[in-house]
Amino acid sequence: MNISESLNLEAAFAQAEADAQIRRALEQNAQRFAAAQLPNRYNEDWRFGKPAQFAEELAEMLAAREPVQAAIRIESGDGVHAERISPRDEDLKETLQLMPTIGSDYFLGLHVERFGTGCCIMLEPGAVVENPIVITYEVGAGLYTPSTFIMAGAGAKARIIEKHICRDGAAIFCARSIQLAEGADIAVELHESGAGVSKAFNITNIQSLGGHIRHLTMHNGHAWAREETVAEIAEADARGEIRLYSANKLSGRSVLDQHTKQVHHTGGAFSDLLYKNVVDDQATAIFAGNIYVAPAAHDTDAYQANRNMLLSEKAGIHSLPGLEILADRVKCSHGSASSPMDEEQLFYLTSRGVARRQAQLLVAEGFLSDVVNHFKQVDGAKELDMSSGN
Amino acid sequence: MSLIIKDLKARVKDGAQILNGVSLEIPKGEVHAIMGPNGSGKSTLSKVLCGHPAYEVISGTAELDGQNLFAMSADERSRAGLFLAFQYPVEVPGVSNANFLRAALQARLPEGEELDAVQFYKTLRSTMAKLGMDTKFTSRAVNEGFSGGEKKRNDVLQMMMLNPTYAILDETDSGLDVDALRIVSDGVNAMRAPYRSFMIITHYKRLLDYIRPDVVHVLHRGRIVRTAGYEIVDEIEQKGFDFLKIEE
Repeated sequence: MNISESLNLEAAFAQAEADAQIRRALEQNAQRFAAAQLPNRYNEDWRFGKPAQFAEELAEMLAAREPVQAAIRIESGDGVHAERISPRDEDLKETLQLMPTIGSDYFLGLHVERFGTGCCIMLEPGAVVENPIVITYEVGAGLYTPSTFIMAGAGAKARIIEKHICRDGAAIFCARSIQLAEGADIAVELHESGAGVSKAFNITNIQSLGGHIRHLTMHNGHAWAREETVAEIAEADARGEIRLYSANKLSGRSVLDQHTKQVHHTGGAFSDLLYKNVVDDQATAIFAGNIYVAPAAHDTDAYQANRNMLLSEKAGIHSLPGLEILADRVKCSHGSASSPMDEEQLFYLTSRGVARRQAQLLVAEGFLSDVVNHFKQVDGAKELDMSSGN
Repeated sequence: MSLIIKDLKARVKDGAQILNGVSLEIPKGEVHAIMGPNGSGKSTLSKVLCGHPAYEVISGTAELDGQNLFAMSADERSRAGLFLAFQYPVEVPGVSNANFLRAALQARLPEGEELDAVQFYKTLRSTMAKLGMDTKFTSRAVNEGFSGGEKKRNDVLQMMMLNPTYAILDETDSGLDVDALRIVSDGVNAMRAPYRSFMIITHYKRLLDYIRPDVVHVLHRGRIVRTAGYEIVDEIEQKGFDFLKIEE
């Protein structure tokens, strides 16, 4: 046997071992889904507000299999990169099956059963997409269960805007997988628009193998919405960077239930989170975030902040920032602050002739725009790099 | 036409009484200075007149050109022509100076009428130039990250843009360096007109050398204890407020 044959055999063994690992993981996940129970209020991840009630409603909608009126639109200024997925895309389906959740294995299992619609964005290594790629899922009736896959190759750069539009009474349940190779640099926005009693549920998994991502979500108008975002730094010494942002204005009786995990499997990487809500009327915002730093993930930088502004005495906030640090040498912080609107700020604006209600809107918009500005500032730096051809 | 305050008594909500019967009249076209030791009630007077929610009027009246000031909300008082340049201007994160000023000017227009955006920015830039302000301040959040002097200058910018008929300047000179003080004072002096009055609250003669008052009031323990001409400013500068102790 010569050296070349020996190397080929080694590669074949490595591939076979990798395939076997995936098969074992999929088998375990099949058991995970089979064992999963419908969440109720005794589940830590579903206990605040009335999400357990909504879990039942969602389960009913998933079981009912009502006719769905939905449409996908894909706009890509540069032509290629994004296409619809089909039920035959087994690799993508396996990606979904392996996704972590935050208390929603039951739902992910049902989502996998419905796999076959959605969009896949594949950015080749080194691809620089100047114009934003825009995906729109619009649902007029029933429960729509699309999946979004974003795979950014090494050094790829792009801005992706995902819009979910729900008509009155409709619902969307989207599973999203975002994978970044080393040196990839992407900005992803998720805009959730609802109406009346519409519902939205997103399970998102971000995996950085040394890539950078800025991920912004904005909710507007749903009766209830849940977001689970697990962001993982998975590659050693590759300086992955994940920034998670969210800015939301809730009113009426709407509920926004957000759960996040910043998972640092390996050291030397950075993650940050800034989630802000303005909560009016009898609306409720729930935030439960966790930073997990694995035992070997030294030199991790990880931060997390949840800020809430209450515009009504009947508005509700549940905020649970959390840290789980198993490494010795890290820089991590977490914090939460919820308060009514600052009367001094309101007085300052009204003392200039701005009516109180208008002043409240200005202050609330200013409070949230801080998140968008953070997102844009980093994005602006990226645009500079792109314009200079770096 | 005047700002007339009669026997005004006011307190911090659920707290101490600060104003114990302030009476004064500021006719149109005049500049009145209010001086007094720390804690005498100068800032409280300005905030009570402008409708700050932390204070409540116990008794007394305040009329602005015949209108009952205390029957109006803070925004109505502003639209009626009252302006307060704050001792400590507040930071409002995320709200740009330009958007704020546009909203304030839009609020003064009749319903259905839209502010001319081109004219607005033209006026804003020329006013900023008069105050030596960089135009980048238009897109910056109101007072956020501003130095003390920049905040004061920003308040004076707002005053010049909103064109009030009664302006209260609460220790506008604090935090300003000599050059900034001169620029801001020039701006205020340029606004002096027969149809506009100023109430200037200060501790120091320095500001009143630039903005020469017609009348000076001394406030002590929530009351006007002396009203005189400019000469009292020199007396206070030399002797301090010790004479108040003698008069107690």
